[in-house]
Amino acid sequence: MSRDLDRRTFIKGTGIAGVAGLAGCTGGPTDGNGSDDGNGSGNGDGNGDDTGNGDADVDANIGMIYAEAGLGDNSFNDAAQRGLLEADEDFNISFNEVEPDDTGEFSQFQRQFSESGDFDLISCIGFAQEDALAESAVDYPDQQYMIVDTVVEADNVANYVFKENEGSFLIGYLSALLSQTDLTIGSDDDERSTNPDESVVGFVGGVDAPLIRTFQAGFEAGVEYADGDVEVISSYTGSFNDPNAGREAALSMYDDGADIVYHASGGTGVGVFQAADDEGKFAIGVDSDQSLTEPDFAHVILASMVKLVETPVYESIQNTIEGSFEGGSVVELGLEDEGVACVYGDEIGDEISDDIKDDVDDVRQQIIDGEIDVPEEP
Amino acid sequence: MRENAEQNQDQELKKSLIDRFKSLSYVWQIIVGTIGVLALIGVVGLLFPASPAGDLARIIFRWSVFTQALRISAPIALAAIGGIFAEKSGVINIGLEGLLIISAFTAVLVTAMIGPAETVAFIPAIWIGFLAGVLAGVILSALFGIVCIEFKADQIIAGLAVWLIALGLAPFASTLYFGGRDTGSLGTTIGNWPIAIMLLSVLAAWVLLNHTTFGSYIRAAGENPKALDTAGVSVSRIRHAGVLLSGFFAGMGGASLSLSIGLFIGTGETMVEGRGFIAIVAYLFGNYNPVGAFGASLLFGGLDAIQIRLQQIGYGIPDTLVQTIPYIVVILVLAFVGRTRIPKAAGKHYETEE
Repeated sequence: MSRDLDRRTFIKGTGIAGVAGLAGCTGGPTDGNGSDDGNGSGNGDGNGDDTGNGDADVDANIGMIYAEAGLGDNSFNDAAQRGLLEADEDFNISFNEVEPDDTGEFSQFQRQFSESGDFDLISCIGFAQEDALAESAVDYPDQQYMIVDTVVEADNVANYVFKENEGSFLIGYLSALLSQTDLTIGSDDDERSTNPDESVVGFVGGVDAPLIRTFQAGFEAGVEYADGDVEVISSYTGSFNDPNAGREAALSMYDDGADIVYHASGGTGVGVFQAADDEGKFAIGVDSDQSLTEPDFAHVILASMVKLVETPVYESIQNTIEGSFEGGSVVELGLEDEGVACVYGDEIGDEISDDIKDDVDDVRQQIIDGEIDVPEEP
Repeated sequence: MRENAEQNQDQELKKSLIDRFKSLSYVWQIIVGTIGVLALIGVVGLLFPASPAGDLARIIFRWSVFTQALRISAPIALAAIGGIFAEKSGVINIGLEGLLIISAFTAVLVTAMIGPAETVAFIPAIWIGFLAGVLAGVILSALFGIVCIEFKADQIIAGLAVWLIALGLAPFASTLYFGGRDTGSLGTTIGNWPIAIMLLSVLAAWVLLNHTTFGSYIRAAGENPKALDTAGVSVSRIRHAGVLLSGFFAGMGGASLSLSIGLFIGTGETMVEGRGFIAIVAYLFGNYNPVGAFGASLLFGGLDAIQIRLQQIGYGIPDTLVQTIPYIVVILVLAFVGRTRIPKAAGKHYETEE
């Protein structure tokens, strides 16, 4: 009986998946989201309660182009969407969202949105859109754009970048302190601990790109600042989507005596958490509070270096409505502006002693006051 | 007369001995060469522990690196074995990447549908998910087989289609069920079982291909389908079987890949990240021998495991360059050591003459 039921749900599930897959094939690059003809009319995923296609009845019409990982990434894109939805609550706006599948589609969507002329602001999320936007911004000089995580030098683009190196510096400092203390969490069969005799910490990067290097630079400098005797080992997996590679990279670090591994590698990072789980060690998350977004690994995540992507998305929409959009500007969001922060893990963050947390707070203040200079390149 | 026959027999025996010796010597060449290279690194490493060779020796002669190499090579070797059965039977299957993707996703989907912590008839959900992944690989390969064998489609184009269908379908189905192209963690894994599955599969595939009647049919369908047809065996049925086996083994590879980490990632090239294409290189390099394909996969996996640790030592070499070491070495070895003889009828349709 129950097996029969299981079979039925299975068949239903695969049936739905198959039919939807076929629909997806014919749907083309729009992923069933938004409109094909580029008029910006309505949005297909049903979360816009006021999706008009005219400019008359709303204060601003926003075009959102997300980064490759798409919505539901529990991280970067979801944070950007939160900023958009917050703005939707506070202001009278309409919006249209698209999730490109690969880098080739950035240019296509930017042009579709720009060509329609319906949008007061087109938000481009992620550094991968840089090249495409550099061209689009020139071809559509009257269109206002904003981009997160990189700088496009054009008069009609507002740029927002984060000082990831500052946040990573704090993480490095915290990791170095923790690897020298005797930290034991959990009991018997699920015990994880640091080894204070051997002070090693690790960094796993995704693609070896300048942006990810700033994470590494800040992290290494933070460790160095805490204690020159703590060793840092770093490696890159060459991909943001390969958790198996992330796991192997982190396993080899734990094997070499690392207590804590920090990652800046998107989806690859889940492998880092898995490795920490396997080895009874610790890890540190990135972009969002990963002890909340990856609840299965909350017991290994000591802290996360969060980037508040909500802030620039909200701010740029507000600026557009208030007429204070500043094309060509570069806004840097660091520790001071709460653009980046070190957030302790939801489940095990409390185990970190208050002394260490106070030290981290001191260092944070010193960075804000300019007493510590955080490098951008390793 | 009798003398003549004996002489013939003698000559044949001699000939086959020479043949055997030749093939043996090639295998021995590779074995001796591998041991030689390892020994050289070991000796130089012992003599100059501070040199890069010393670092390399410390990396290579380490149990954890060996298990890492096996883990990395498991999905590749399994897909490669699948590729062997298809191509030996005369159907070139370059859709291995697609088979890996679809089985990796289905394994996670079914495990999540049942509930990762549940058991059905004393079997943990994750192993039912594993079987479902294998089944998905078999189904997609069956489709590929029908298109290629019954409708005589171009095998390369159909293979690409398999890859592209999987590349689009898996992430899309994931957004429907999981709300995103990435499924999120199941919270459970199959641990190091893929290593055992791979080793058993290598052995089973070797026996099946080289020491059974069915294996000789498979080989005949790829070398001389007319002879097989004349002997009264249906070429298309044998080829279907070869293609289904490719789905079976690649399905195990894909399910191993996703369930050993407990999630599926559908962003970009998906979490499979070209392993299916490396598998093609692996079986060509292994000259269509399951053991050879395993050796080639292990070479790649081993170099990848070494590469990770070389990055961590932190020489002044850019990390991106170090990451390419496995690919460069595999190409070099393929060029200088590889001996690949493609089955004569591979890629050609066979019309039976009734």
